[in-house]
Amino acid sequence: MTSFLAVLIDGSIYASWLFLVAAGLTVIYGVMRILNMAHGSFYAIGAYSAASLVGWYFNNGIGPAWISYLLLVGAALLAGLIVGVIVERGLLRLMYGRDEILMVIITYALLLILEDTMKIVWGVSPYFAYQPYTELGRTAFGLLKVSNYDLALVGVSCLLGLGLWAWLERTNQGKVLRAVIHDREIAVAMGVNVRLMFTITFVMGTTLGALAGALTAPAISVVPGIGIEVIVLAFAVVVIGGLGSIGGAAVGALLVGLSRAAAVHYAPEFELFVIYGVMSLVLAFRPEGLFGRTMARKI
Amino acid sequence: MEMLKRPVSGCITIIAATLVLLAGKPAQAERFELGAAPTEADAVVGCLYPMTGRSATYGRDSIAGIQIALDDLAAEAASGLPAPKLRVIADDPRSKASYAVRLAQDFITNDKARFFCGIVSSGVAHAVSDLALREKIIMVGTDHASSRLSIEAGHKYYFRVTNDSWTSMAAGARYLRDLQKETGWRKLAFIGPDYDYGHVSWTDLQLALDELDVEYETVSDLWPKLYEPDYSIYINALQSAKPDIVVTALWGGDFIAFIKQASTTRFFETTRLANFDTGANYDVMMALGDQPYPGLILSARHHNNWPETGRNKRFVTQFHEMTGRYPTYAAEGAYTGIMAIARAIEKAGSADNDEALIKSLEGLQLALPEDPPGFASYIDPDTHQIVQAQAVGTVVHNEDFPPSKLMVGNWAIYDAEDLKPSQEMVKRRRDAVAGGSEAVPPPTP
Repeated sequence: MTSFLAVLIDGSIYASWLFLVAAGLTVIYGVMRILNMAHGSFYAIGAYSAASLVGWYFNNGIGPAWISYLLLVGAALLAGLIVGVIVERGLLRLMYGRDEILMVIITYALLLILEDTMKIVWGVSPYFAYQPYTELGRTAFGLLKVSNYDLALVGVSCLLGLGLWAWLERTNQGKVLRAVIHDREIAVAMGVNVRLMFTITFVMGTTLGALAGALTAPAISVVPGIGIEVIVLAFAVVVIGGLGSIGGAAVGALLVGLSRAAAVHYAPEFELFVIYGVMSLVLAFRPEGLFGRTMARKI
Repeated sequence: MEMLKRPVSGCITIIAATLVLLAGKPAQAERFELGAAPTEADAVVGCLYPMTGRSATYGRDSIAGIQIALDDLAAEAASGLPAPKLRVIADDPRSKASYAVRLAQDFITNDKARFFCGIVSSGVAHAVSDLALREKIIMVGTDHASSRLSIEAGHKYYFRVTNDSWTSMAAGARYLRDLQKETGWRKLAFIGPDYDYGHVSWTDLQLALDELDVEYETVSDLWPKLYEPDYSIYINALQSAKPDIVVTALWGGDFIAFIKQASTTRFFETTRLANFDTGANYDVMMALGDQPYPGLILSARHHNNWPETGRNKRFVTQFHEMTGRYPTYAAEGAYTGIMAIARAIEKAGSADNDEALIKSLEGLQLALPEDPPGFASYIDPDTHQIVQAQAVGTVVHNEDFPPSKLMVGNWAIYDAEDLKPSQEMVKRRRDAVAGGSEAVPPPTP
């Protein structure tokens, strides 16, 4: 029973982390039709920025611990905004309208460049910014003691999902974005500034990626390569849920999270297999993903 | 045409910016050339060590260890002893087997190397060991530890001069046996990296415990991937399994990350954590800060504070004077590799005859910094694995090796002869592979 509860809790925590990472990826694809391979690097940049800032804050004993949570979010917003604007204005804007495959190659090249740039900036030694994680303490669920930081991550993830849904469904900007998603040409004809919408979407996507990294930083060791590992998992999640679907990303994250937790607790040797096993199973029966829509192609 | 110009200019901007960034820093990957000049060298040794990435510390320390060995040999030669002049070339295989094989091939073709040495990753070492066999080049392994390399996959050209996973786990099994008499522990869990070294370490531990007739129950074995950044789910799974002792084969940054993340939970209040092969490495000691987590049981292939012999103190001091820091175990491993090659050449009379060199290495005795008083390490003629004593202990306050505030103490010392795999065990493992099985069968009653 304890194990089952542990699977539920661990799975939910892992799923919430996966959703945080995958949300930005799926938003960018949904609006811009760009499979952004560099999303993992935005995650890593957020994690490194947050870990360095929080590390500096605690090493210098500047103030109370709660400020560190603001620093985590602040670092992510700043990093996401700066990197997002530079990449969208300096690179992607020059490539719009080109084949999706070309965009994959371009963002993959960007991933490699950013990975090496991060090594130059932050070095190769691990960064630990565990203070925000330990400060929140733990809560007992029967015999299990669960970190309140992890539980808060589940809450943040739910709030973020609801916020994204509300933005897309309940705001004028969201309606315009949905118009762009449905038919870019008609949206342009109706006077929508599609380029501005792309900038907003891309920066939002990169900021979500950086936020995921920053919020994860206190729970992990921030090391070179974390962005590459994350992008593989994030793709699995959005492919299961259906590319471009926020709800799909949430369900995909939950499926992967619970499956992996169950594997670690009950059959550790299948841990890696189970994630891609679930993905293969879903794609075998629904190639467009659980919530993906089959789209007609213009010829 | 206009459409083409803009993307191209964007790409050029990015590439140019990257080049500017890279130009601002010296290249991290570097080929090191140490020792005698090409025209003066009695033999060339091609070494593979990580110079970049997360294991770069081991590469840097290994280079310093090699330099200490070359200095010692030069001092011997200056005093009239017949020490050979070695030229040592070191390059970074970037933890990739295919790249390591390519570099090793270049060592033979371009540098006329007669020996390979080094290699941190057991996976990479397997590939280079295969090349050594094909090309008939003697390989002296110094930092990888999978016992499969010397037992199942051993061959006449492969030698290893640092503790392997069997030696460490045999010492660990003895420590666990003695601890069981004190505490009555029964439930054991294992967590190791999901590649050759991790799995072989677990097999070695089980075989060693079985040989000692230790009664235990395995409640969990977990396999995170190498360089896993987030161990929380594994830590929760371990806590759910309620083991009395967790043995781990995580190493370097992974082991440090595991400890840091476990320390934010009640892990150390409920269980002991043992790492018998790499846990007491100096980088781990530094990372522990001033937190001697209760229940940590550690050992490593070399300790800066054990044995307290003149030879060990001199090695640690030499390293500190040369680099301004204290060594990880990789340094003494690399030092041993070069000394083993030098002594083999001395004994064989030259570096020209493979068979004579192999004969010289088989059974070669080496008095090393890590040898306790009255004992000298030697290379087992059958497995080509060095035979060494091992010390296991717990974490204590010790500020003699700053910046570390902790070191391992409360030593339990295990004799080298006791830690050798029995001939019967070696035969059983080799027969299992010859029969097409990866699993080691139980001993015949």
